Amino acid sequence: MSDQEEPLMMDQFVELPYHDLLSPTMVRYSEALAEGTILGQQCPQCGLVFVPPRGYCPIDTIVLGTEYDVPLKDTGVVTAYTIVTPVQYHGQKETEPFVRATILLDEPGGILGLQDLPGVPNDDVHTGMRVQANWIPESERSLEGLDNRSWGATAGCIRGWKPTGEPDMDPELYKDKVF
Amino acid sequence: MAGRRDIAIIGYAQTPAMAAAQETEVQFLLPTINAALEKANISRKELGFTCAGSCDYLSGQSFAFVMNLEAVGAWPPIAESHVEMDGAWAMYEAWVRLLHGDIDTALVFGSGKSSPGDPAQIYPLQLDPYSLMPLGLDPTSLGALQARALLDSGKATERDFAEVAARSRSNATGNPNAQVSGNDDADTLLGKPYATAPLRAHDIAPFADGACALVLATADKAREVCDRPAWISGFDHRVEPHQPGFRDLTVSASTAAAGKSAGVGEGIIEVAELSATYSPQELILREALGLNGTTDVNPSGGALVGSPMMAVGLARIAEAARQITEGGKSRTLGHATSGPALQQNLVCVLEGD
Repeated sequence: MSDQEEPLMMDQFVELPYHDLLSPTMVRYSEALAEGTILGQQCPQCGLVFVPPRGYCPIDTIVLGTEYDVPLKDTGVVTAYTIVTPVQYHGQKETEPFVRATILLDEPGGILGLQDLPGVPNDDVHTGMRVQANWIPESERSLEGLDNRSWGATAGCIRGWKPTGEPDMDPELYKDKVF
Repeated sequence: MAGRRDIAIIGYAQTPAMAAAQETEVQFLLPTINAALEKANISRKELGFTCAGSCDYLSGQSFAFVMNLEAVGAWPPIAESHVEMDGAWAMYEAWVRLLHGDIDTALVFGSGKSSPGDPAQIYPLQLDPYSLMPLGLDPTSLGALQARALLDSGKATERDFAEVAARSRSNATGNPNAQVSGNDDADTLLGKPYATAPLRAHDIAPFADGACALVLATADKAREVCDRPAWISGFDHRVEPHQPGFRDLTVSASTAAAGKSAGVGEGIIEVAELSATYSPQELILREALGLNGTTDVNPSGGALVGSPMMAVGLARIAEAARQITEGGKSRTLGHATSGPALQQNLVCVLEGD
């Protein structure tokens, strides 16, 4: 091959299908979400709240059974957010910058990541903003989008979060629960 | 290199080999680690190092190996490492770490959830992308090619394969962690149809979900907490060329070399737990290790009765350790393998006082 020739480039897309069984904790979480409850678990030792339930506490490394399931609030505060500028990679569906927010739920707590705030201009999103879940009407809810893998699973039952209009929360109250 | 008495296995635990676990990998890994630590009489706070063996491609979950650290307990921060291999290689790294002499315990584990994916689609991707991957050369077909080579060489017959399977499945009836078991004799098994000729279904290990954890300790610590430590007397692993076509598939040169370095031939091996995923591989491994008829091979049933990928090799070592700690044996070995058709092999020789 001479120095002037372009190397031959070939795209080779590899696709592998994976099918999960929904884990026992996600089964309970999904059933509760379909009925309008965000279900978490609270560790009896460290008090941390996990949502969705994990079935264990990663700090104390103990198994958490169903007795530690706890219904959580559907109101909370934005503790962090990112305005994502979508890169047009193969499979990307987004074209315009969009927000993904971390929401700390009101007591007993629980942190949901990667949440959407539809209808809120990107530049209006700010930490401390009080929000509430925008529930999809019960008859229209779907559990199809829920799986073991996604973080902050609300797909199909909650259509993002909307501002409540209340005054912003004092950062002192959430500064150590950002993520 | 062999005949050491400086580092021992002092605790171990494993899940059963599960066809399709409903729990996530972290959910079944956490109690396994807890059980191994409890058996070892070691608390997490004491651990000097942790090493994990797993492969994200099995479950198709990016950073699955990072999430597995939730089962370890990584707060306060810990010293840990990971290998994209069976847990047996994580054990090797932990052993090397302990040889430095500044820490005295290490946690090792291997885990994997193969059930969400199709191994026949995933494993060809590790082969040569130009000549083998486009063929979709899946592990069972490779195992069958190796079996055919063994038959053509005259070194074994299909009856020999059936006898390995019969013995393994019969041994498995006593192993609560085995995925399959049975009491069919070789004649009955020979009457079954081929799955992928010349292999029949019973010649092929079922891929499984599962985890295995064990705890290593240096000598003073081991003697303090363990009644009968399983000393790592010799430990080595070797690798052969990546292309199966470059190798004589009827022998396992890397197993022989690793075994020699680990000191297999320096004494009687009472029990050998071998990671043979296809029954012909057991014959190849026995020859490579020079095991004669007096060694009890795979009293657990071995990998052939349940193969939780990424944990199966470490589980062989755990079974070999159990033979010493609980079974009163004095000299056993565990073998692990990785890559296509026994490309890479690890041998761990264990001894009891």
